Amino acid sequence: MGKKYNVVKAKVISRSQVKWRVAGAIALLVVCLALVAPKYVNSGINWVNNKVNLGVPKLPESGFNLGLDLQGGAHLIYRANTANIPGSDVANSVEGVRDVIERRVRGGLGVAEPLVQTTKVGEEYRIIVELPGVTDVNTAIKMIGETPVLEFKEENNEPPRDLTKEEQKQLDAFNAAAEKKAKEAMWASWGKTDFATLVTKYSEDTKSINNGGNIGFITAEIYPEIYKWAQGHKVGDVSRELIKSFDGLNVAKIISEKDGDKQVTASHILICYQGAEGCTGQLSKEDAKTKIEELKKEATPANFTELAKKNSTEPGAAERGGDLGAFSKGQMVPEFEKVAFEMPVNTISDVVETKFGYHLIYKKAETTLKTYEVARIYIKTKSKTDIVPAQDQWKTTGLSGKQLKRAEVTNDQQSGQVQVSLQFNDEGTKLFGEITTRNTNKPVAIFLDGEPISVPRVNEPITSGSAVITGGFTWAEAKLMAQRLNSGALPVPVELISQQKVDATLGADSLTKSVKAGLIGFLAVIVFMVLYYRLPGVLAVFALLLYATLSLAIFKSVGVTLTLSGIAGFILSVGMAVDANVLIFERLKEELRAGKSLRTAMEESFVRAWPSIRDSNITTLISCVFLIWMGGGFVKGFAVTLAIGVLISMFTAITITRNIMRFVLPLFSDEGNWMFWGYTKKKSEENLTIKQ
Amino acid sequence: MTIPFIKYSKLMLITSGLVAVLSVFFFLKWGLNAGIDFTGGSLMELSFNKDRPQVEEVVQIFKGVQLNDTIVQKTDNNGLIIRTNFVNEDTHQKILKEVRDKYQTQDNTIREDRFETVGPSVSQALKQRAWWAVIFVSLGIIAYVAYAFRQVSRPVASWKYGALAIVALVHDILLVVGVFAVLGHYFGTEVDVGFVVALLTVLGYSVNDTIVVYDRIRENLIRHSADNFPEVVNNGLNQTLMRSINTTAKTLLPLVALYFFGGATIHSFVLALLIGIASGAYSSIFIAAPLLVVVEKWQRRNA
Repeated sequence: MGKKYNVVKAKVISRSQVKWRVAGAIALLVVCLALVAPKYVNSGINWVNNKVNLGVPKLPESGFNLGLDLQGGAHLIYRANTANIPGSDVANSVEGVRDVIERRVRGGLGVAEPLVQTTKVGEEYRIIVELPGVTDVNTAIKMIGETPVLEFKEENNEPPRDLTKEEQKQLDAFNAAAEKKAKEAMWASWGKTDFATLVTKYSEDTKSINNGGNIGFITAEIYPEIYKWAQGHKVGDVSRELIKSFDGLNVAKIISEKDGDKQVTASHILICYQGAEGCTGQLSKEDAKTKIEELKKEATPANFTELAKKNSTEPGAAERGGDLGAFSKGQMVPEFEKVAFEMPVNTISDVVETKFGYHLIYKKAETTLKTYEVARIYIKTKSKTDIVPAQDQWKTTGLSGKQLKRAEVTNDQQSGQVQVSLQFNDEGTKLFGEITTRNTNKPVAIFLDGEPISVPRVNEPITSGSAVITGGFTWAEAKLMAQRLNSGALPVPVELISQQKVDATLGADSLTKSVKAGLIGFLAVIVFMVLYYRLPGVLAVFALLLYATLSLAIFKSVGVTLTLSGIAGFILSVGMAVDANVLIFERLKEELRAGKSLRTAMEESFVRAWPSIRDSNITTLISCVFLIWMGGGFVKGFAVTLAIGVLISMFTAITITRNIMRFVLPLFSDEGNWMFWGYTKKKSEENLTIKQ
Repeated sequence: MTIPFIKYSKLMLITSGLVAVLSVFFFLKWGLNAGIDFTGGSLMELSFNKDRPQVEEVVQIFKGVQLNDTIVQKTDNNGLIIRTNFVNEDTHQKILKEVRDKYQTQDNTIREDRFETVGPSVSQALKQRAWWAVIFVSLGIIAYVAYAFRQVSRPVASWKYGALAIVALVHDILLVVGVFAVLGHYFGTEVDVGFVVALLTVLGYSVNDTIVVYDRIRENLIRHSADNFPEVVNNGLNQTLMRSINTTAKTLLPLVALYFFGGATIHSFVLALLIGIASGAYSSIFIAAPLLVVVEKWQRRNA
């Protein structure tokens, strides 16, 4: 010794500052734990709420964002064939296809969170479709591959055609046979035969046939006829007459009954004002309010009907006296419903404001409806609509995407309003002229893939072949509409060039396995640290726990998609997180051996180990950056978690461990003891001088 | 206790050199067994809950749809892994239907666990990107090493430290590639995108081990005179030895857990990481440091 070398000046930090920092670290750990496992926290909150009625709000129980390889699903890459699209339109057309695919995937397949994005590889446009949780990939692929169909449709006013004589005869014969069968079943049901046996023999209801005919508790909305019958009968009764429903004949049996929804019987007085929905009166809002308040003072249950007849602006009030009959929840506007259901019977409410105007409500009665569990034998009958399908609201005009040259977003020259302009080819111009002439002042609907995307009203016949759709669009809305129109006008065929599909079972299996492996690895590291470095090791383990929960909390809140490779990256970063601590503790050991006092040794080891820690993490981060650039689910998943892990580990392994050690070390004598690796009994001169 | 590493530096360098040469030899002889990520093609994993068909029968089904280069392997859990050319969705469904028609019974259900098919343009693009990523990471790391060793030091110039760190790194990469060439030849282990990820991670991770050792040697050079260079190097090595072993052990522990319990999909990925990271620790002790002494000797001889 004796040679000169850099003297490390450790920053002096007061005890209370250290205490605050350690408290901060513990608070951070608690917050992160709550974020990572909200379920347990919520059950705790539940318990508290049950004991003392505090009404502590619960945490959202969202899960981690799992990649396709862990939850199952499909990853598809399509190539967009843009050969027939003029150069300037290519990017927009591809964007249009993307939108079409997303709509199909969401609507048609019901995928809640699909990822549909476009990328450009060289000169080639690609569309990447990720379908988490989809099992029937084949159907998905079929749906996505279809060319979008754009159609212009006009209102359909034609009445449905009548049945031919032949059809009528068939229909009658069918229904007669059905009635015969149903009667047979009903008569049999009065006898000794078990109802369930008869169901198996006669019923044509595929849903309940294997279930003894049980269709569960029924409501008046879905089975009005059967419900009505059940109201007049008791448990165990079998119908003595066939119950006709809209699609067949029923023999019903009541299995049980219970209390169902509440129903309120009430009348009301409405005073509407200009601007309220459906209002034809001339009162201003203030006047309407004054009027209804006067009525409120005057109204009693006895004179309510009279007042309603005289004053209510509701159409037909003069005859019905504002009587609403009986209604259940969901039938009235929410503001009205709330008051009507909460107020006591035989009273008149305060003024209620709804979109229709101001109301006074007189509640006459409140009843609890019964709901019935019913078993039935169902025999299908046919009606006219089974033979001649019900008329669509819209009918085809022959004008389709083929005759649309293009659509684009423009600004109206006078008003500056954003609008979508359409240009038709010659055939389209002619057809569109005819359609708009026929439908002046009527709506014309534009359908994409069978769904209306716009229903503009025709203001005048348009024969020039170019039209505009206006309607207070924002620029983004107009752009979307133009893209949708173009996806039908300039279809971009797509070709599947890559697919990856993972079965959900395999995904779940991978998830359990890698979580298990992660835990084992984590424990192994902990055991190693504690056995080898003793007390500092224990402190490092605390930092490691904080590291793990903090990383997981960040993955969750930032929405990092966890893939199998991502979990591997995280597990690897656990090992790396300890790296910094190892560097520091090895230094600590040396400094202690050199005979330095515990505190000096500790501060020095942190400062001296820093350059090595920085270097090792930077080289890893360089790799991560280019891996993220390289892209692809597997690569990105790994690199993102590893990079986040490395960054967080610098914080936990250095800042946290250091402050914890500052907190803990004063509890020990300055020479250290057996709990620190590198501790030696002999005291050097240097030690004594520093100790003062 | 001081281990006299430098005394045996010749032996260590020759052994390491041999390993590297062998790796290159295997690589040149057998090449790497590129997976469908890079070559294009399909991979289908089927599992049967009772009887799986014979490999030959399945190959015949694929021949029936003009897929003649089909390789069928049995898996541990009563399944089959099938590798073949790129297929479109229609053919895929046709094959599945035929397999189901032939072998699916009431109690023998067939599940398609995994299906991947990669078209030539996708695999081409990925290959290109992977190469660029390798090049960029290498350049980035060389740049960083140059930066980390920018300070002047004696008796060996800074840039030489950097160059030697890269030599150690090349050794690690060669070893991983060599092992996978052997595994590919004898066990059909494939090199997929995961392999590239592992390589790039090793690139980033292994060089820092060398940096730590070199940093320590340079720190000692500032404190002590450079009269006895081999001894200073040896001391530095001994001082960082436990650190090297411990950090590597702690990184390898979770990886070993992942290798044995983590499922088959990422087996070879984790294996590449294991080899590369272990080799990274080895090469900084047994290659980077001894080479430094050798270089210093050359300098003195030529001076």
